[in-house]
Amino acid sequence: MADKVIFAMYDDDDKLMDGAKHLVANDVKVSDVYSPMPLHGIDPIIGIEPTRLAITSFMYGITGVMLAIIGIRYMMIVDWPMNIGGKPNFSLKENMLSFVPIFFEFTVLCAAHGMAITYLIRNKTLPGMPPRNPDPRTTDDKFVMEIKTSENTHIKESVLSKLIKDTGFLEIEEKSIS
Amino acid sequence: MDYKISERAKKVTLGTAVLGLVFLIIGFFQQKDFVYAKKVDDHSVELLYNGNADLETQNQLKETIISKMHGYQLEFHDFMDTVNHGSYNNHKEATANHEEAHSHSEEGNQHGPTFKWLIHIGHATHRDNHANAGDHESGSDLLIDMANSGDISFFDQGFRRFWSNLLVNGFFFFGIALGALFYLALHYATESGWGVVLLRILEGIMSAMPIGMAALLIVFIVGTFGGHHIYAWMDSHILDPNSSHFDPIIYGKKAYLNIPFFWIRVVAYFTTFVLFLRWFKKKSKEEDEIGGTKIHFTMYRRAALFLVFFAVFSSTMSWDFIMSIDAHWFSTLFGWYVFSGIWLSGMIMVMMITLYLRKGGYLPFVNESHIHDVGKFMFALSFLWSYLWFSQFMLIWYSNIPEEVIYFTERINNYKILFFGTFIVNFFFPMVFFMSRDTKRSAGFLIVIGLLIFIGHWFDVFNMIMPGTLFDQWELGLLELGMFMMFLGIFIYSVLNSLSKAPLLLKNHPFLEESKHHEY
Repeated sequence: MADKVIFAMYDDDDKLMDGAKHLVANDVKVSDVYSPMPLHGIDPIIGIEPTRLAITSFMYGITGVMLAIIGIRYMMIVDWPMNIGGKPNFSLKENMLSFVPIFFEFTVLCAAHGMAITYLIRNKTLPGMPPRNPDPRTTDDKFVMEIKTSENTHIKESVLSKLIKDTGFLEIEEKSIS
Repeated sequence: MDYKISERAKKVTLGTAVLGLVFLIIGFFQQKDFVYAKKVDDHSVELLYNGNADLETQNQLKETIISKMHGYQLEFHDFMDTVNHGSYNNHKEATANHEEAHSHSEEGNQHGPTFKWLIHIGHATHRDNHANAGDHESGSDLLIDMANSGDISFFDQGFRRFWSNLLVNGFFFFGIALGALFYLALHYATESGWGVVLLRILEGIMSAMPIGMAALLIVFIVGTFGGHHIYAWMDSHILDPNSSHFDPIIYGKKAYLNIPFFWIRVVAYFTTFVLFLRWFKKKSKEEDEIGGTKIHFTMYRRAALFLVFFAVFSSTMSWDFIMSIDAHWFSTLFGWYVFSGIWLSGMIMVMMITLYLRKGGYLPFVNESHIHDVGKFMFALSFLWSYLWFSQFMLIWYSNIPEEVIYFTERINNYKILFFGTFIVNFFFPMVFFMSRDTKRSAGFLIVIGLLIFIGHWFDVFNMIMPGTLFDQWELGLLELGMFMMFLGIFIYSVLNSLSKAPLLLKNHPFLEESKHHEY
């Protein structure tokens, strides 16, 4: 069965939020929202699970700090101990404090890059990839709500279009995807 | 909505203060243990006293020791110290130690070490009588036990512990009020909208500033007249080139560190702060009655002016009040470090008072987002504080220059657990527990972690002051607990009392509506 996707466009984020609340209250499943900026509080309304990006960030950070510890231990303790400022340089433990800035920087480096790359891959927005948003204006000042008819088979099409109409959209567009 | 301090709150706060006073008095008369013993070997003990004792008291102590240690033959030697021992040579040249024991009776009171004896313990002829004791422990162990349990000791006539504690608590609670005043000024100067509903709470907290100020003034006045020696540079003979206590480093700093200029600065700080504080309170009440935006813009300009004063004064104030205790040492970021602690303690106090009033139903207009934002401040400022703490510590520790590193050597030698413990508590607890959005919105987490880092920051001030005044002879006892409770009780009472005097909501602040609908 051919699936139909309805894109309702709004010119204000509050209108979209209220509209989404209205639709969800009437058992409509909103599958996604496209917005030029983060809309705080939209995730619980349309039922998107909290992002797991923070967990990946933590794991990248742990990787980073461990790489830094291993690297510094090899470079500064094992391979070529250097006497800097008369500090003990024969064990990592005693010299740990002077390496804290490096651990910190490397943790941040790994966490930030790892998180950014994961984000781009997960959203399929790596440089050069085709855009996924339905309308280029959602990167400017418009907000689009995506509703799939296949997810709303329990509601009659006429009822659904009436409900969507009630939200006061700016433009509406329907696309068929096979 | 109007808040009136409840009978229960009055009882609890003033009760805490009275209980604190009782503890303080008990602790005050319990303090002894001012003689420190160190074992050299089984037959000799090093005895050291850093306080304030004339020759007669010293002789009395010798007699006490002889009478308590009867059965042993004791020889007292004044210790010639050539090793630079951080804890009691802080303000003195090492070689001066020997003379001090003798010259002390004519010098009267002075700062720093008074005597250090090496006691040789020989066995007396009638050793048989004490065979039991002698078999199990040596004479030096016995003497050390007595010194540590307070059997041989004398009352500290300089009351150094008392004065140091007064300074710690005075500065800590002065800092909380100052942090609130600073944040209020920042709020006006940046024309922030979100926190308008909290401004009256900030006003209440900053109104308690005179408590800390009074304590600080007492410490300074007594110090100026030689009642205590927290500020070594206040002693005139340290600046006298002919004195045996002449200190060339402090002499070199006397253009800044001298009593008249110190008092000019103290008066300048305190009058500036008090004048701005009263002005802000007066104007916000006026705004309640008159309305319009004229008063708001006057306050905006005046707040910016205050921040200019504060920027300079917060740094020089922390040099004057705290850094000059260790007058040889200096650190350029000390002012920021102290300031970050002040601001953070202020924000914790804002959070606690807000949660308390909100629970009583007095703050219907304060929503979760306001709490969340104050929580963010607690989280972020903990990081600022930790960053400055670590920057100051790591650079000095790493470069290891003797004149700088002495500050941390003292702290690590004598205050190791407190020194690193404070950092760990004040850094890791906020980091781990306030990282999540939900914990910054949960009253339980905010109260538990908030109180923990509140006490942590009290210990931070403790760590700044005590190593320079009590050296390795610090204690945590009833005196400390009592004085903290007394100050805390009076402070909270005074905050709640001044909150009762004005409505909890600014009626005509231009950003009031924005603040009421604040989200995130």
